[in-house]
Amino acid sequence: MTRISRRDTMRVLAAAMAAGAAGAAGLPARAAGGKITVLNWQGYGTDEAWSLEAFATATGIEVVHDYFSSEAETLTKLRTNPGAYDVVLLNSARVSTAAMEGLIVPADLATIPNAANISADLLTNPNFAIDGKGFAVPWVWGMTSIAVREGVAKPASYKDLAAPAYAGRFAMNDDAMIAVALGALTTGQDLNDPADMEAVKEALKALKPNIKLLWSSEDQWNKSFAAGEFDVSMFWSGGSVRSRRNAGLPVDFVVPAEGAVVWVDGLAVAAGAPNPEGAAAFINWMIDPKFYVEWATKVGAPASANAQALAALPADDLSAQVHKPDYMVSKNVMSAMPDERREAFNAAWEEVKAFYAE
Amino acid sequence: MPNEASPLPGPQSPGTGLHDLRGPHSPRKIPGWAATTALLLPAYAWLTLAVFLPLATMFVFSFLNKTPMGQAPVEFTLRHYRAFIDQGYLVRIAWNTLVMGFWTTLICAVLGFFAALALVRCTAGRQRETLLVLILLPFWTNGLVRVFSWTMVLRENGFLDSLWHLVGDGSISFLYSRPAIVLGLVHGYLPYMILTCYIALITIDDAVIEAAQSLGARWGTVLTRILIPLAAPGLISGAVLTFVPVIGSFMEPRILGGKVGMTLGTVIEDQFTQAFNWPLGASLSFTLLAVVLAIFATFSGVLKRGAAA
Amino acid sequence: MRLGHIFLGAVLVFLYTPILVLMAMGFNASPLYQLPFQFSTRWYGDLMGNEGLLTAGFNSIVLGVITALVATTLGTLAALALNRHSFRGRSLLQLLLLPPIAIPWLITGTAMLIFFFWTGIGRGMHALVIGHVALAVPYVVLVVGTGLKTIRTDLEEAAMSLGSTPVHAFFAVTLPLLFPSILGAALFAFAVSLDQFVVSYFLSSPGYVTLPVQIYSAIRKGFTPEINAISTLLLLGSMSVILIFARFARPQSPGASK
Repeated sequence: MTRISRRDTMRVLAAAMAAGAAGAAGLPARAAGGKITVLNWQGYGTDEAWSLEAFATATGIEVVHDYFSSEAETLTKLRTNPGAYDVVLLNSARVSTAAMEGLIVPADLATIPNAANISADLLTNPNFAIDGKGFAVPWVWGMTSIAVREGVAKPASYKDLAAPAYAGRFAMNDDAMIAVALGALTTGQDLNDPADMEAVKEALKALKPNIKLLWSSEDQWNKSFAAGEFDVSMFWSGGSVRSRRNAGLPVDFVVPAEGAVVWVDGLAVAAGAPNPEGAAAFINWMIDPKFYVEWATKVGAPASANAQALAALPADDLSAQVHKPDYMVSKNVMSAMPDERREAFNAAWEEVKAFYAE
Repeated sequence: MPNEASPLPGPQSPGTGLHDLRGPHSPRKIPGWAATTALLLPAYAWLTLAVFLPLATMFVFSFLNKTPMGQAPVEFTLRHYRAFIDQGYLVRIAWNTLVMGFWTTLICAVLGFFAALALVRCTAGRQRETLLVLILLPFWTNGLVRVFSWTMVLRENGFLDSLWHLVGDGSISFLYSRPAIVLGLVHGYLPYMILTCYIALITIDDAVIEAAQSLGARWGTVLTRILIPLAAPGLISGAVLTFVPVIGSFMEPRILGGKVGMTLGTVIEDQFTQAFNWPLGASLSFTLLAVVLAIFATFSGVLKRGAAA
Repeated sequence: MRLGHIFLGAVLVFLYTPILVLMAMGFNASPLYQLPFQFSTRWYGDLMGNEGLLTAGFNSIVLGVITALVATTLGTLAALALNRHSFRGRSLLQLLLLPPIAIPWLITGTAMLIFFFWTGIGRGMHALVIGHVALAVPYVVLVVGTGLKTIRTDLEEAAMSLGSTPVHAFFAVTLPLLFPSILGAALFAFAVSLDQFVVSYFLSSPGYVTLPVQIYSAIRKGFTPEINAISTLLLLGSMSVILIFARFARPQSPGASK
């Protein structure tokens, strides 16, 4: 787990308290030049203490964090706190919504030199670029696929997850998008727009005898796996690296024949950012090979969108082994979708969960 | 406004108005309505600002076709209130949720009543105060952490199994089941019930019980004819404070229930955290609120009729 | 009565099972809460260096005390009116106490976030106080209301018939009798605030975090037994404060010492 030095914490804290006091006094959250606020998941790269310390030394910019606990909440926080954030993490499926609503501004790549090493495919991907303007800078990509306990037979296909051999030993990710994607891959459909939703639901319902629990956080996954409650699970690639390296859990990450569910996370500059220059500098720092290699080898990370950074990883590194470039299949990338479809995905997953609960 | 419909502790009885602030003894002649308003205004003004107006906003949202936070135009719709018809499985989930709430409340009521009775009848003075504090203190830890601790007790080869292995083999683990959810919920809400029953029972006069016993009343008769009726206000408040939040709970079912941990609370949570479908989440919540109000209206009606008979 | 003591003992064992596990795991070496148990004070050491968590714990206590004081005052006043006065719309006002309890906190929290944004109240400690007090008030009204309903009124009436003003009779007779209920309500209000992670999560500003918020945001990536350590310290600290308070500042409460 992350070790935070006291001095560092105190400094960040002092800045945070000052900001909090200013906010409490009803002043607009216009910060001085030396501070940026980042909105991200907790413990997802941007808030590593060693990196923030080095960043502050290099640029003089203090980084304050605010966290969200679901992707939908990211947008809510952006909408209800205009001018509060500088940098925000957005999943490939959410960038266009944020861009259309004017919650983020196009990234000025001239101020982010490291962006030159991001593959053109990713930079111009319709998930990140609208009308040729790149909104979020692709930061990392990762996968959701199968994590298996060492010594347990590895499934060759998602269809195998329903096999009696795994009775009561499977843990599912409680996430409608992932669940529908799993059903779609199992039945050979497009994971972003399965034509036959009934088949998707049937495939998921077939897992019922094998399901032990539905997990919703990495914390829950680790504790439950460590207690030996399940052997096979849908899990995050970067999470599996962290579980093995930091917690010593005997877990292998497997991508079956159908491929993994792939997601790309980008960093964007929030509209009305108090410190856009600081934001650009921080994004540049985050996609720098130096930061990435340290993050991936010290902590465990998904794959960097920066080709140079990924190449700089030692070949025997676990993050490098798990994130084979072959797995980055564009048709498997989770993409933006209309609200109606998202609603249908959620309704399907609720129905399947109700079936599990019977 | 019929008072009979109120499930909450009301005034003692219409006849005992002597203690009313408007009583003839008041020398300053504060008008009754002014005193009442002065007492009520701070609390209800605060609630209006912090809860009623925000919830009214949510109520409006529940009639919209999508969460009105984006730029897409929103339209009025009753669709989300048809969810129980359109998505039939929700009816079953709602029923399971009510059953879960019923068991939790019943177990809390039985345990809470007897614990309060034991406090009132078997303890006194400092010992009683210490016990009361000890009963309330578990509440001063975060609920999330308490529930995680239960998973460590209940899971296979957890603390419960370790104890069991002293006397037997195998596992008696029941994590990820409905009883596990009810256990976690009972643990979370029992102190409310103990406290409200205690407050009600503490005013019972020993002389009444002794008199009844000297007249030959059996323990069971004392219980059903004297103690339970006297504790009724406490039992009712306790039931409100247990049943109402329990049927909207999502944390305990999710963590302790595994794949059977689906309740209306978790469906509502999903609409807010995953689906970004606030209108559906809100309409489900307000339907839940309507069901709660209906249950308590019926329940208190039955109580009043029973008391009148 | 021995039976009563045994029953109370059993209830306490039940109530304290997860609490003892929580405390024990703060001294267990495994960051993943794995058994078998291996004694370690590592997490307490880490906690002492974790200013963020310590500050959050401190903020939680301050917020809890403010919430308890304000909510108990407002709630007790409202309970007096609701239980001792009769007026039009009383039943409606009593029913209005239910929504804050019945609507899942997630929805109330989201609603508050939106509404506070629109009205310019914003986020931060002041918003947390507004939210926490509002959620605690219904509990206070119900608990104090139960006390009022069961307190004998003839004493107050007797005092008034002897020439006492209603206000004086209230302070001299009813308030001491009501004191245990008020204290219990305050303890609950404090607990509601300490437990309130959802609303806190939405209303806290980036610089102002409380313990439940820390726990809730840490849950995705994993929280360590440091959380157990600080929960244990909070619990033991409050336990000693209350017991000392009960020993030295015990008010005359005829109801409780009968």
